[in-house]
Amino acid sequence: MSSSAAASAYWRVAGMTYLKYSNLCADMVRAALKEPAKAKAKAREIIYFRQALWKDGQPQKQVITDTTGGSGGKLS
Amino acid sequence: MSLRRAGLALLRQQGAPLVESLSATTQQAQGAVREAVEGCSRGVSTLAVKQRMKSVGNIQKITKAMKMVAASKMRSATAATENSRGIVQPFLRMLGDMPDTQGAKAVFVPVTSDKGLCGGINSTVCKYTRATVKAVRDGAAAADSGEAAPEMMLVVMGEKGRAQLQRDMRDNIYGTVADTNKVKITFPEASAIAEELLKTEYDTARILYNRFVSAINQKPTIATVLSPDALERAAAEGGAMDSYELEGPDRPEMLMDLAEFQLAATLYNSMMENNCSEQSSRMSAMENSTKNAGEMLGKLTLTYNRTRQASITTELIEIISGATALAG
Repeated sequence: MSSSAAASAYWRVAGMTYLKYSNLCADMVRAALKEPAKAKAKAREIIYFRQALWKDGQPQKQVITDTTGGSGGKLS
Repeated sequence: MSLRRAGLALLRQQGAPLVESLSATTQQAQGAVREAVEGCSRGVSTLAVKQRMKSVGNIQKITKAMKMVAASKMRSATAATENSRGIVQPFLRMLGDMPDTQGAKAVFVPVTSDKGLCGGINSTVCKYTRATVKAVRDGAAAADSGEAAPEMMLVVMGEKGRAQLQRDMRDNIYGTVADTNKVKITFPEASAIAEELLKTEYDTARILYNRFVSAINQKPTIATVLSPDALERAAAEGGAMDSYELEGPDRPEMLMDLAEFQLAATLYNSMMENNCSEQSSRMSAMENSTKNAGEMLGKLTLTYNRTRQASITTELIEIISGATALAG
């Protein structure tokens, strides 16, 4: 971290990246919306992907990140 | 799918004898067809051609349906892609594009599709990845700054790219990401992947993808994202950013935020572009195969009719010559 660590933003001190912080803020704004717009905006915050880290040229355990609430894979 | 499984279960129940008898039957059938074709026995020969015609016709129907599906998916993807361009263009204007930046740790992110039957777009990305890795390695060797050779890491997105790149660059793969397209691509999704990328602590990240130009044109593209330190170095060397005045006390921190956001935004855009390119490429590939199947069907129909006509002519000649012999 830089020399200005003391003046650093509180969320960075807590170990968050800017991306995590800004996405969290976006989620809060979406949660504050009223109904017809809320459902529409909700679709913009779902995440689904799977990843595997490799070691020595071999894939390790596969991790699935899924915030669709069980509908992942059925939609397309 | 359930049909195939049911068949497998049946095989497992009945054990090996059935499998053997099955393969024997297939061999018999194949032998019969071969005899028929070689011996030009009329009835069976036309039967083989007729079966072939039917299967070609079915394939044509399938490719046509796939083309329709790809076309409609492309239409919605085009709009989304064009919207997503607005998020990266300011970055390009402000920071410039610096694909030749050197760094101790270079990360390459080839963006490919999960499904096949979409023309050559995945092979193109893999080819460009290999070429870029080689160029960066050679460039570092030529610069000879006394530092160790840069570390190359691949983070492959999409099943098809993984299948192609694990053959010769297995040792460079840091991780793979797939199924990003299963639900609609969202910015949080791109951010989540970008955070995984940040864990590599790269100096330069190069994202390789197919940029969607038009329905018949996709261009392989490299987008370069620099780490905050590399960004600072580039600015010191007279990058485009030097013409901006940065307010506030925390220039390094702002650059850090900016670099992170740039990575996510670039990744989001490249995933969108690649998805759109995939659909349009699939559309034209399926259009071609539908056309080819049509041509093949035409040729087969011609062969079929010719054989039929030949046999009728032969029979007629036989009858007429018989009748003439009787009369004479």
